[in-house]
Amino acid sequence: MDRAPQRFANPWIVLVFEIVFVTAHETLVKIGASRTARIAGWEWTGLTGLGSVWIWCAIGLVILSFLCWIYVLRYIPLSIAFPLSQVVHVLVPLSCWMFLSEHISARRWCGIAIVILGLSVMAKPVAKIEEQL
Amino acid sequence: MTGQTIVPIAVFAMQATATVVGQLLLKHAMECSRVKGFGRPPTLKFFIGGVSSLTIAFFLMIGLLQHFDLSFFYPIQGSTAVIIAIAATIFLREKLSPQLIIGSLLISAGIVLVSLS
Repeated sequence: MDRAPQRFANPWIVLVFEIVFVTAHETLVKIGASRTARIAGWEWTGLTGLGSVWIWCAIGLVILSFLCWIYVLRYIPLSIAFPLSQVVHVLVPLSCWMFLSEHISARRWCGIAIVILGLSVMAKPVAKIEEQL
Repeated sequence: MTGQTIVPIAVFAMQATATVVGQLLLKHAMECSRVKGFGRPPTLKFFIGGVSSLTIAFFLMIGLLQHFDLSFFYPIQGSTAVIIAIAATIFLREKLSPQLIIGSLLISAGIVLVSLS
């Protein structure tokens, strides 16, 4: 079995790239969807979104994120990689708050804090896996 | 329980199952690729199975989103992190420590709270 590559090809770094790509993808989809015209009878298919350059960038990002994800799965156990990848659900509201000036409620801030707590609890087993890679 | 409630519950159960099965098959394919190479039949078989299962999950999710609000569906989706972690220990024989269980439970709970508000 081959060892995990280091530096930028390190699976943990690639997992960070995957999370960033998905976050950027979701944010760009939101921008693209809100800027494209709605045509009667077609509004629920989402196909009108293809008229926006932001949507095409988002499609490129989702392909990149999938390639990163299958690379991550090659080296990191699914029971660790999948919960970590779910951090994207916290990063998307944060990026909407930063770049689209959307409001974040107190309950949502609590949720973000709990996710960060979960990540810190997982940090030790993750460090143990890192030694084995 | 009426037919109106059984159908969405069944679709949701199928969507969650397809997500879990897809991720497990994809992980197994990448494990195989480390030993036997990516182009080999066992790797490709599991990879195609995983991608197909995730594609089914994607379209079932669109179907659910056409009938329900995102805020109703997202919290339930957040709980898949725990289900996948448990399924990986059962089917892929991955080791799950108490810290990993607590960590993934907290991440899931946080996601549920984020999507509820």
